[in-house]
Amino acid sequence: MTITIGARTAVIVPDAVPPSPPAAHYTRYALLDRGSYDHAPFDDPELLTRLTTIARHAAGRPALTITDVRLVRLLRGDYLLAHHDSIHDDLPIEVIADLSPASVPGAEVHYRRRGQVFFRVPSTPGAVSIVERGPTVTCNHTYVSKLHPPGTEVVRLIALLREPA
Amino acid sequence: MVALFDRALTGWDDAALAASWRTAQPFPHIVVDDFRATADLVDLLEAEPVDQYQADIYIFDASAPDPTTTELRTIRDAFASALAPHLRRITNKPHLARADMRAFAYRPGHYLLPHADHQDGLDRQLAFAYYLPSPSPPSGGELELFRVTPDATLSARLIEPLPHRLVIFDVSDVSLHQVREVLSGLRLSLAGWFYP
Repeated sequence: MTITIGARTAVIVPDAVPPSPPAAHYTRYALLDRGSYDHAPFDDPELLTRLTTIARHAAGRPALTITDVRLVRLLRGDYLLAHHDSIHDDLPIEVIADLSPASVPGAEVHYRRRGQVFFRVPSTPGAVSIVERGPTVTCNHTYVSKLHPPGTEVVRLIALLREPA
Repeated sequence: MVALFDRALTGWDDAALAASWRTAQPFPHIVVDDFRATADLVDLLEAEPVDQYQADIYIFDASAPDPTTTELRTIRDAFASALAPHLRRITNKPHLARADMRAFAYRPGHYLLPHADHQDGLDRQLAFAYYLPSPSPPSGGELELFRVTPDATLSARLIEPLPHRLVIFDVSDVSLHQVREVLSGLRLSLAGWFYP
């Protein structure tokens, strides 16, 4: 799926990565008016190379390289709000790989332009979303309902890619 | 109708409530139980239309920001006129006068994530939540108050949404609170803010 309203690039590539959560030492983020989630560093060169290739192809920007990367895990009751997100005015590409062990209905990533959702990324293990982050684009990760069974987790690898200066 | 809440206020000890307000943690608030109107409010609200509202921090069913029916307008005005004189004394906010009010229905999966109600220019002085009897009492749906520190947001008090319970709390940058997700049943309430 590719759209041109809200961002020049907003694409979901299904079955792009193995849907398996990597082993990680998570740290809890606990400023609850911004977000509630676990985060961890990530360094798997093979997977990062694969994501870079996918992003370059989807965006048509062959010089993209990863400048920021982190792993985020949401359990039941977790979320990341839009005002916790950073604004980028240099048009980076954001890549999110869904490494969750199973689909979690309702657990989505929403990209917003001037507050309005223009692109929804549903929970689809193995899928990769590629979105250009313009200066008016923000992102939130929706609340994961406690109505899901115990043990439910959403694991997302989030990377920002830019051309070298 | 104007006297809708007068009986509920009989016996209010403003001095005791003021002491409770001042010492409440994590920020000023009071919880008053058995605050009963002289009419069935759920019945009066029968014709008030509700829609689903959804953003990154909430999903719930609610009436419009301004009442549609005469009934909700009357409840709002009776509530404000009955409570404002007491709240001026209890909270030491001498200019409290009017209130707005919406009807809320939280169903399973509905929530309102942690936030503070303060917004520049709106002049909200106090927030209130008044829980109504539900045909299907909810599990979850507690009002949770937080203590804010530089490194974390700490849960400080859980208030169950019991029928006829009135909660009033201060509006400031640090009065962080949430409505926990409703897990079953139906959570009915009237809520809004007091203004000068």
